[in-house]
Amino acid sequence: MDIVVHEATDDTAVLECSGRLNMVSAGAFRETVAKVVDGGRARLVVELSGVEFMDSSGLGALVGCLKTARQAGGDLRIAAPSEQVQMVLKLSNIDKILRTYPDGDAAVTNWG
Amino acid sequence: MTVVMGEHVLDLACPPEDVTAVHEFLASVWDHEPDLSVEDRMALELALVELASNVIEHGAAGSRVACSLRIEVRPDEVRVTLDDDGVPVQVDPSAAHLPDALAEGGRGLALVQMVVDDLRYDRVDGRNHWAVRRGRH
Repeated sequence: MDIVVHEATDDTAVLECSGRLNMVSAGAFRETVAKVVDGGRARLVVELSGVEFMDSSGLGALVGCLKTARQAGGDLRIAAPSEQVQMVLKLSNIDKILRTYPDGDAAVTNWG
Repeated sequence: MTVVMGEHVLDLACPPEDVTAVHEFLASVWDHEPDLSVEDRMALELALVELASNVIEHGAAGSRVACSLRIEVRPDEVRVTLDDDGVPVQVDPSAAHLPDALAEGGRGLALVQMVVDDLRYDRVDGRNHWAVRRGRH
């Protein structure tokens, strides 16, 4: 999996992900998020349009990163999930805690 | 050796191999089975990668595990088996359920249950044996 970090504002970052978010890549994803949060950006948008596959390991990583962001006073949002990712989010009922936005730009604003 | 139409086999040794080999194997199976719907492919890929991940994570118990994955694409259904030489697994697939929303693990088997019609686990002759059946959509 590839992750490109865009520093959108002083406290917001967009993580543009592509490839597979599974047991092979989940650790690297968590580490990347931890670095971004340590760097002062705790409002995270995870852009998933290029992720063709996610499984329970990927879901676990997203939930872990949501906690990391919230502990630092921020939050984590999902943007533009692919068809496969939408299927997994729906099956797992995770949409209750992870807000999903149609695209990265929509997710960057209005953190309240 | 008899080759059955619609049958595909992958032998895995983990490590060094990981679930990437399962994804690549499935891509080649889909190439050979162009009539299989996108819905069936997404469901089967999720189910098989979850099961293979479990085998690699728990079955190996810190050492190497060898796993054989077999897919049989029939006109009305797809049958899959996973056999591995890992340690026995204490699990009742029929009891799998989603954990609390904020849990970071424990969703794998519950997700598999949701996308297949039948999931069984047996310990046979010192090997773990998983069997999956999904009717084609």
